[in-house]
Amino acid sequence: MSQQNTILIVDDDEINRAILEEIFSPDYAIAQAADGREGLAAIRAGEDSLCAVLLDVVMPELSGIQVLRELKESGLTARLPVFLITAEASDSVMREAYQLGVMDVISKPVLPFVVQRRVESVIELFQARRRLGEKVESQQADLLRQAQRIIRLSQGMVEALSTAIEFRSEESGGHVQRIRRITQHLLERTPLGEGLSQEEIDQIALASIMHDVGKIAVPDAILNKPGKLTPEEFEVMKTHTTQGAKLLDQIPQFREDSLYPYARDIALHHHERWDGRGYPEGLVGDEISIWAQIVSLADVYDALSCKRVYKDAFSREKVLEMICGGQCGTFNPRLLECFLAEEPALARLYQREE
Amino acid sequence: MDQARRNRLEAGGVQVDAALERLMGSEALLERLLRKFAADGNFQKLEQALDSRDQEGAVAASHTLKGMCGNLSMEPLYGLFTRQVEALRAGDWGGALALQEDICPAYRQVLAAIGEG
Repeated sequence: MSQQNTILIVDDDEINRAILEEIFSPDYAIAQAADGREGLAAIRAGEDSLCAVLLDVVMPELSGIQVLRELKESGLTARLPVFLITAEASDSVMREAYQLGVMDVISKPVLPFVVQRRVESVIELFQARRRLGEKVESQQADLLRQAQRIIRLSQGMVEALSTAIEFRSEESGGHVQRIRRITQHLLERTPLGEGLSQEEIDQIALASIMHDVGKIAVPDAILNKPGKLTPEEFEVMKTHTTQGAKLLDQIPQFREDSLYPYARDIALHHHERWDGRGYPEGLVGDEISIWAQIVSLADVYDALSCKRVYKDAFSREKVLEMICGGQCGTFNPRLLECFLAEEPALARLYQREE
Repeated sequence: MDQARRNRLEAGGVQVDAALERLMGSEALLERLLRKFAADGNFQKLEQALDSRDQEGAVAASHTLKGMCGNLSMEPLYGLFTRQVEALRAGDWGGALALQEDICPAYRQVLAAIGEG
């Protein structure tokens, strides 16, 4: 409920003030000022309690018009209705008054039912407008909260899906989260992220956790085979890239999401190689997006650093030796350089787990 | 307010019903404002300003009196002061002084009616 319930009467004539007070005191609190300067001070001090100002024109110190100019200057006339109550309602005074933002010009001697109706209508208008403004504000806050909940929810769905797929590979669920953190780290802390906004980096990092969604289409016998895959089995395994892209393509709501292009690209291309000998498309060099390259390296780094169904964890030195020696694919030299500079920080992801 | 009081004020130039309407029917407030009018110093200020040809002072005093008379529905005086303010603003001293000749008796008449409370 609005606290603005005081009408300020600014008039040097006591009789005028008494008459206006008599009209409005049954319904409003009344404040009075006996000249323009005092009135201006009262308006500035009482901005939060005033619902209207009734302003005389001819007054000592500051005239009503001068008071209006000051109010207009500070933008107050937009928030607080001001009425000119004047015996000199000449055309020029009225024109200037309206230009300065008065809501109404009422001539003296006043007729109570006229001044009452005109003032109260405008007070109600301002109060309704303020209530509506507050309502819109609170609705906007509600909408924002809902939007954030939806974002959290859909991120949760993405994470749940990716983690579920990872569980099928009999892994802990930590893999996708580490890929996400490595991707985010390299984009934020190295020149690899140049030209990307923080929002884009956050999107890419979230998209990275879906890189293996296509594995849902790979049979358990191949996915969880402890030994080396046969060439035929490996061909099936390789389809997790194209199957992943296909799967993401088939979620209509997701296709409209800004996450989609990154997620699809990463799922499809995280096994491409800088030398063109990767799969499924055999892209070469910069044909592979930087985020797909990063996820590719992060995936290898994480796989080597952890125990898998088909292998034990390697030591950190061994991991770096294998990556740099080209035993696990060839990488963009610039990518490797950035990765090595940040690797000591990334290694902490694994120490914490032990 | 008894009828006799009302009649005296009417005879003195106060339109009581119109004044009461402006005061939301409050007779107490009307009596208070009439006494304030009677005790007000602007009439003396007006006479001094007219004597000394002080235009600014005369306009201010006549304007204030006009406002008071309007509020208290003293129609004859309100009309006279309205014309006097116009004359003074226009620099028409002759007109303003001539109006003062009519204003003085009307003013005394209202004062007398108020004083007979």
